[in-house]
Amino acid sequence: MVEKIRTVKDVSCPFCGTLCDDLEIDVNIKTDLVVEVRNGCQIGTKKYFSSNPSDHRYMKPLIKVNGEHKEVSWDEAIDKAADILVNAQRPLLYGFSSTECEAQSKGVELAEILNALLDNTASVCHGPSILAIQDVGASLATLGEIKNRADTIIFWGSNPVHAHPRHLSRYSDFIRGYFRTDGRNDRNIIVVDPRNTHTAQIADKYIKVNPSEDYELIQAIRAILRGNELDVKEVSGVPIDDIKELVEELKSCNFGVVFFGMGLTQSLAHHRNVDTAIRLVAELNDYTKFLLIPMRGHYNVAGANQVFTWNTGYPYSIDFSRGFPRYNPGEFSSVELLLRDEVDAALIVASDPGSNFPAASVKNLFKHPLISIEPHKTPTSAFADVILPAAIAGIECEGTAYRMDGVPLRLRKVKDPPGETLSDKEILERLIEKVKEKMGE
Amino acid sequence: MSLDNLILLTGRTISQGVALEGGKASRENVRAAGICTFDADDFKKLDCLVGTPVKVITDYGEVVVYSTITEEGPHQGIIFIPMGPWANQLVNPSSQGCGTPTYKGMKAKVEVVKSGKVIGAIELIGRLKEA
Amino acid sequence: MADIKLKIKKKLDFPLEADSITPDNFAGKTVAEIKKLPLYYATKKVTIGDFFDVSGKSTEVANTKIIIDGDLSNVKRIGEKMTGGEIEINSAVGMHVGNHMSGGKIVVNGNADDWAGAMLQGGELEINGDAGHYVGSAYRGYWQGMKNGIIKVKGKVGVESMLWAKSSKPANKWPTLYCGSAESFLGIHNHGGTIVVEGDVDRCAGADQAWGNIVIKGKVSRLLPSYKKVGEVKEVQLPNGEVIKGKFIEYSGDHTIKKETNGRLYIAV
Repeated sequence: MVEKIRTVKDVSCPFCGTLCDDLEIDVNIKTDLVVEVRNGCQIGTKKYFSSNPSDHRYMKPLIKVNGEHKEVSWDEAIDKAADILVNAQRPLLYGFSSTECEAQSKGVELAEILNALLDNTASVCHGPSILAIQDVGASLATLGEIKNRADTIIFWGSNPVHAHPRHLSRYSDFIRGYFRTDGRNDRNIIVVDPRNTHTAQIADKYIKVNPSEDYELIQAIRAILRGNELDVKEVSGVPIDDIKELVEELKSCNFGVVFFGMGLTQSLAHHRNVDTAIRLVAELNDYTKFLLIPMRGHYNVAGANQVFTWNTGYPYSIDFSRGFPRYNPGEFSSVELLLRDEVDAALIVASDPGSNFPAASVKNLFKHPLISIEPHKTPTSAFADVILPAAIAGIECEGTAYRMDGVPLRLRKVKDPPGETLSDKEILERLIEKVKEKMGE
Repeated sequence: MSLDNLILLTGRTISQGVALEGGKASRENVRAAGICTFDADDFKKLDCLVGTPVKVITDYGEVVVYSTITEEGPHQGIIFIPMGPWANQLVNPSSQGCGTPTYKGMKAKVEVVKSGKVIGAIELIGRLKEA
Repeated sequence: MADIKLKIKKKLDFPLEADSITPDNFAGKTVAEIKKLPLYYATKKVTIGDFFDVSGKSTEVANTKIIIDGDLSNVKRIGEKMTGGEIEINSAVGMHVGNHMSGGKIVVNGNADDWAGAMLQGGELEINGDAGHYVGSAYRGYWQGMKNGIIKVKGKVGVESMLWAKSSKPANKWPTLYCGSAESFLGIHNHGGTIVVEGDVDRCAGADQAWGNIVIKGKVSRLLPSYKKVGEVKEVQLPNGEVIKGKFIEYSGDHTIKKETNGRLYIAV
């Protein structure tokens, strides 16, 4: 007997910031299980399959009782979570990057009601890029422009073969574009990285830079671009003649782009690495057309920055404690707050700080009540006091997500939420209602 | 055997990405993210078989992970651990005032451990709760 | 000088925001009135009287001195926007001490946390210990930071101190930082600030300096490649009139900003 299959086309993949919009998902009509994924990379494909019920997918709300997670009703779980938040003196709402924009908006609302701290995963990722853009601006573009026009593409501190697997084939390397009709052969790929990554291995030029010394290298490039002869023979492990050759290559291209990643934001100097990269791109526009795009990690962290900014004026690391939003990364960043043990309760939404925060901050996160809105068992949810099982945005509920270049795309629902799971948006709405009730509004 | 004066970098790999979507509590995740990748020449100095558990130590902590040889070298003097719970025992939590920890560029050293066990993600992070 | 004495009487689990503690706010008020001034603790609005014992007498702003004792390491924003008078802090102090100050003097007998003297417009801030990051810096998104005044840090300053500092020759405003040593990116985006370091500095001092003067009497861990040697000098003449004697190598920079520049960095021989 042939199983009946429902095929959903033009699906936006909810994994990385490339937000590929050409996936095709086959769902078994009877069992409502994902049975095939076409066009996705390995990681996106895995995400769809892992939405099927399994021993590590939460189906019902859970509350920790005597060290064990016990299944409870939604009402009971929401009530307990609201209690934790209302009784906290300085609660933190964190995450939001792996969910859709309406849920992110509810997160802002909840933070405001609680006078809480509000942060998203940009805090440990491209936050420094945002800080740099706030200081020196940015010459950005959409991925379509790159696909169609770019003949010189630099990946700086970014390894898309591993982190954004289809980026090269859809937008930045192998694809044929309107003005790049010969695809790969019409493009010059340059990779700057301390390691000869798999991306470097398929590039035209690989520049090996010393770890944590990108800033000095970019300063040298900019000074040579200004027409200066420098006093040094090598900068950051790169011989001065190679730097001069690179400068000529960049000046004489048709349309260049710098894609940059954690190599710049997570190394020493952080946002200043991005600051000087932005200034280099701006200064190259004296000679040719040059742009830059940050390689956003999560599929909707850009959306979280957008939504937070529309509502509060600020993109991340926000404090509502004095009744209005204030912004200061460092002072109000989740990791720093946890290191100083200044948070006494946390609501983690659509993210996994247990895995991704430095150990010392996770230690303090676990000292206080923890609520996790999460579909799967993770090193965060496994230790939460309340687990609110979420439906997966982009698979089991619709919404909007923002790609790394700021283009909004619609996420599709390919199947129903399993078990008793609810969308992040609905969970946050129920929390807001309960919190308001407890606060006497 | 041990190696000194190394620099630790962390970051994404496609296997680690597949494993994190497939289940963070799984053995697949340990094999994808509970590893340390060495430059081929550096690894010879450790004088052990590929896959031997090694203890990686930085100023911020230590952890036992499986050793492997890089496909993204040469990078003499650099070791690479995929992002995740094992790497985060070792990274610099300080952000120098900007909020984003310094996940890359820590000074590190590595020791081959006789009876080292690489533990799973949930157990590893669970130790932070009891502490 | 009329003194007002404050002593913190509670242990802090969360930061306490104390921007109301300034000579401007205390001038002409009785102790009872001062006790009613607002502070912010976690998400609650509280009063000075809730957290401090208060005694003494105030007068007009210029002659009011506030002396604060107890553990203030998590008390933020003391001295915010003050225009005159004095504050003496006998402890380590939290973030943002003296931010936006335009006159008067603050002395911290201990370490200061990040953002000490941020956006300084005048007056004097003295820290007899180490200071955190962003000393005398601009706040996020501001392209002009410290415009006048003097900051003296006996020990070390953290990263990005004097970020976006801006001087003015016509207005005779020379924002100046004196410190014992400095972490990376000292004087980044400098537009005329003056910095004198008694000891060593970390990498990238003078990054993207448009113009200004940075004098380093110790060693530099790594000089930016975009700085070029001009020559050797026997003394450095600073635009505020001060003269620093000693043998220095004179460098021009940052040449990322301009091909020819008046920006200078001096490193002791």
